[in-house]
Amino acid sequence: MKIGIALALTVVLASCEGRQSVLSPAGRDAEVLANLFWWMLGGAVVLWLFVNGLMLYFSRIRRKRHSLRVAQWFIFMCGVVLPTTVLAGLLIFALREMPQQREPGEGLTLRVTGESWWWRVEYWPDGADEPVTTANEIRLPAGSRSEIELAANGVIHSFWIPALGGKTDMIPGRVNRMSLEPTAPGTYRGQCAEFCGLSHAHMALEAVVMAPEEFERWLGAEARDARAPEGAEAKRGKQLFLSQGCGGCHTVRGTPATARVGPDLTHLGGRKSLAAGMLPMDRQSLVGWLSAPESIKPGVNMPGYDHLPPADLQALAAYLEGLT
Amino acid sequence: MVWPNRYSSLWHMIAAPVVWAVHFCAVYGGTALVCARMDAPGLARIGIAAASVVALGLIWWIGRRAWRQWDYASRANRTHGGPRAEDRREFLGHSAWLLAIVSAIGVIFVSLPALFIESCL
Ligand code: HEC
Ligand SMILES: [Cu+2]
Repeated sequence: MKIGIALALTVVLASCEGRQSVLSPAGRDAEVLANLFWWMLGGAVVLWLFVNGLMLYFSRIRRKRHSLRVAQWFIFMCGVVLPTTVLAGLLIFALREMPQQREPGEGLTLRVTGESWWWRVEYWPDGADEPVTTANEIRLPAGSRSEIELAANGVIHSFWIPALGGKTDMIPGRVNRMSLEPTAPGTYRGQCAEFCGLSHAHMALEAVVMAPEEFERWLGAEARDARAPEGAEAKRGKQLFLSQGCGGCHTVRGTPATARVGPDLTHLGGRKSLAAGMLPMDRQSLVGWLSAPESIKPGVNMPGYDHLPPADLQALAAYLEGLT
Repeated sequence: MVWPNRYSSLWHMIAAPVVWAVHFCAVYGGTALVCARMDAPGLARIGIAAASVVALGLIWWIGRRAWRQWDYASRANRTHGGPRAEDRREFLGHSAWLLAIVSAIGVIFVSLPALFIESCL
């Protein structure tokens, strides 16, 4: 019994840690929310004890008649004064935080578009007239506020990185905005938080917070065209990529592949995960994805290539992996 | 002013919540319009302040009349559960008074955001 309780507690508490938890905040906005959560939880516990204590007191300990006056006073204090004060306090606390969370960014603007079932990501540094495009991963400089524009293609999604801040819906036909101020460098995880179809649960997102100089360097590299393949296998992979029609849906900048139906793959190999947070970024996962994406994400809008000989899939994977 | 049904009509009892409801619609609708059409948060905030002052004034007035109708101060026996006209009058006054308090809190809570948020975002 005791062991059971201890085990259950460990599981519950362990799930509070980690890179996708509102309870281990890594950004200013998430800190405020976590803070609010703990205060409300504490308050709820106190209230629960108070109400149940009173019930016990009046029904078991002191079971005599009470005067109407006392009863009315009691109802007025606990039914009107107390809730009004508590609610007003919470409301004012939250309202004071809201302007901060809506503040404009300090230079960098990201535009994230919810697709089925992946994220199109564009970076617009201050004064840029053309974005740096990537997918399924966002990177942010620590210590400054970045502006995030949220759009959607076709159906509704919701953008949520619990460790960095609150969630905001992505709605077709309009642009919502939010801003995030991450504080601690690290790799966090986001998740689509609004049901958007078959693979909704398979639509996650990496969020990498970097030191500002490191971020600048990364963005500079990300803006460049794709690396040329190295080695015979990767070179053959590039040929296959172009001959198999992958370029009809994907962009690899610096090659004839320029379509925007699927994720931009220019620097795919440099990302932390594959297929919107579903697989690790390695050779084996790439081969698995290319041969049967449907088995990883039901309803996926990419055909499987299991009709290709294994050596071809390996070559494609080698090429993609080298696109760092 | 003489209202014929003053002491039996439910409408007098819910006058304050009606003011609250109208204030709510005016504030939300007005702010949406002003922000979408003119992007003028300053104007919206002034409008909200004005609407709130008017609403609170009305609720104050309604609450005062309700307090008198309840006749709390002048009676030793504070119950009004009997089947008489006087009981009904006092019960309606008592309820109206409590509803006025709730409505005033509602109006304040609805307009509080305008005190802290200075933009249309
Ligand atoms: C009909 C359009 C289409 C074609 C053709 C296509 N893809 Fe895709 N691809 C997609 C879509 C859409 C996704 C995003 C799927 C998702 O995550 O829901 C995707 C995802 C991917 C990913 C994962 C991207 C990421 O950000 O993790 C890789 C890698 C990929 N495709 C490679 C290929 C290769 C290689 C080929 C050719 C052999 C190819 N695709 C052909 C539409 C296509
Ligand atoms: Cu979704």
